[in-house]
This record gives sequence, C-alpha cells and structure tokens, in this order.
Amino acid sequence: MAETFFSAVIPSSVDEIQEPLLQAVAALTERHWVPRGREFYARLCLEEAIVNAIIHGNASDRSRSVRLEMTEDRDVCIIKVFDEGEGFSVDEVPLPHADAVSGRGICIIRHCMEDVQYNKEEKCLVMRIKRKVEDHGVQDHE
Amino acid sequence: MSNEPLITFEEQGSILVGRIQATSVLDARNVAAFGSLLLSRAESTPGIQILLDFSQVSYLSSAVLNELLKVHRKLLETNGSLRLAALNQDIRKVFEITNLDKVFVIYDSLGDGLRKFQRSIAIEAQERSWNNIGKQE
Repeated sequence: MAETFFSAVIPSSVDEIQEPLLQAVAALTERHWVPRGREFYARLCLEEAIVNAIIHGNASDRSRSVRLEMTEDRDVCIIKVFDEGEGFSVDEVPLPHADAVSGRGICIIRHCMEDVQYNKEEKCLVMRIKRKVEDHGVQDHE
Repeated sequence: MSNEPLITFEEQGSILVGRIQATSVLDARNVAAFGSLLLSRAESTPGIQILLDFSQVSYLSSAVLNELLKVHRKLLETNGSLRLAALNQDIRKVFEITNLDKVFVIYDSLGDGLRKFQRSIAIEAQERSWNNIGKQE
C-alpha cells in the first residue's frame, strides 16, 4: 500500500525553494531512500525538477504554485512535482549540445533517477528511486 | 542569505584567480548574482584569463553551469578564457553528465591549475609571436 511521507506546496519563486527542498531531502534520508552523506544527487534532481516546474511549467507566475509529493510503495519511492503549465514530454527534451546554455536539468535527472516521465493527466514530473541493498537510493556515481 | 562575497578575486601573474566562498552558495537564490559578478569582470577586462577555484563549493545546480557558459562565451570574444579548478567528485560528475567537461578545462587543484594555465598562456603568446613574424615575412 502506497504511503505519502512528504508533501509541500512551493510558491513559483526560485528564491523560496531552499527550505522545502532541504526538508524533502531530509525526508528521503530518514526513510533510507538516500544514504546520509550522499544527498548531493537527490538534492540536485529535486532542485532541477522544482526549478523547471516554476520557470517552464508555471512561467514564474506567483499566482501558480508547485506541489512536491513523495510516496513509497514497498521497494519504490515515487517523487512527483506538480505544476500548472501545459506539460511536456521528457523523451522529446533533446540532450543539450556541449555549449547550449539551457536544457541540462532534465539531462541530469534522466541520468540520476531510475526513471523519469511527465504525466500529462496529473500535470506532474514523476521520478522513481528503487531501494538498493548496497547503497539505498539514487544511483551510484562513483 | 550571508553577506560574505560570493567570489574573492586575486591576481596571480597574468591569471585572475576567483575563489568561490562558502560551501553551498550556488543555489537558486544567488546564481544570478554569481553570474553577474563574473560577467562584469569579463566585460571590464577584455582578454582576461580567469581561473575559478571550486575547493569551497560542495553543491551547485545546472543554473550555475548556464552562468559559467555565458561567461565562457563572453571571454572567448576577446581571447580571454575561464578555467576551473578543484571541483569535488560530485560536481565534476555533473560536468561529465552534461558534457561540459568537453567545454571547460578543469584542473584537479588550484596549484595544478595555476601551473598548467600559466604554461598554456605562455605557449599561446609564443605561437602568436611566431604568427606575427610569419606575417611580417
């Protein structure tokens, strides 16, 4: 049975994401989805997803908000970042050219998370972490 | 947010060393200020050679990468350059994931960077002088 262990509503302002972002990372650590001392990539993926939702989804419109919801279901953690925009297809976001000045957020998330998709019906980016025996969480980058 | 400077600059020979201060300053709140600080240096001193010391930085997001690229492009217009040193393992990996390790010259440490950057500036100066001699002949 899926259990939501963290949720937060974040205003569409990049200046206001740090507190909920760090709380979310702490929740992932407490639930053993991310090992202590290895929070870097979890924080990075969450920040990229939230900033994308604010800038591209909500067009930085402060009347809109972003909702972050994290649920666990046995051996999978599902992280959803909801926005109020038109949505997009993750698979259609091209890998950035070496000197492109944007488009790296999704590239980073795709590399670090087990799976990432945009759910157009729910209007949310869905990221998945599978619990691992050895390192409990986000893929190892050593 | 802290009032400490995001970057402190110090000239070391022909290289301007920028030391990024604090461990996690490069979050979404101060990325634009960080970029502006570097860009203003690039614009006020054409041809400047900047070596950015990341030894105090433990975290950054892709927004910082975008700012670094803008500065890199601006410097290329005037034969200047931006090189990076002392990235921790996680940050270095972010550059690799995003292909930016192919855009920026990255040194393992500040000392290593200063030595090799200085040498590359000397070689480029030598090549320019040879080219000038060739043109005169």
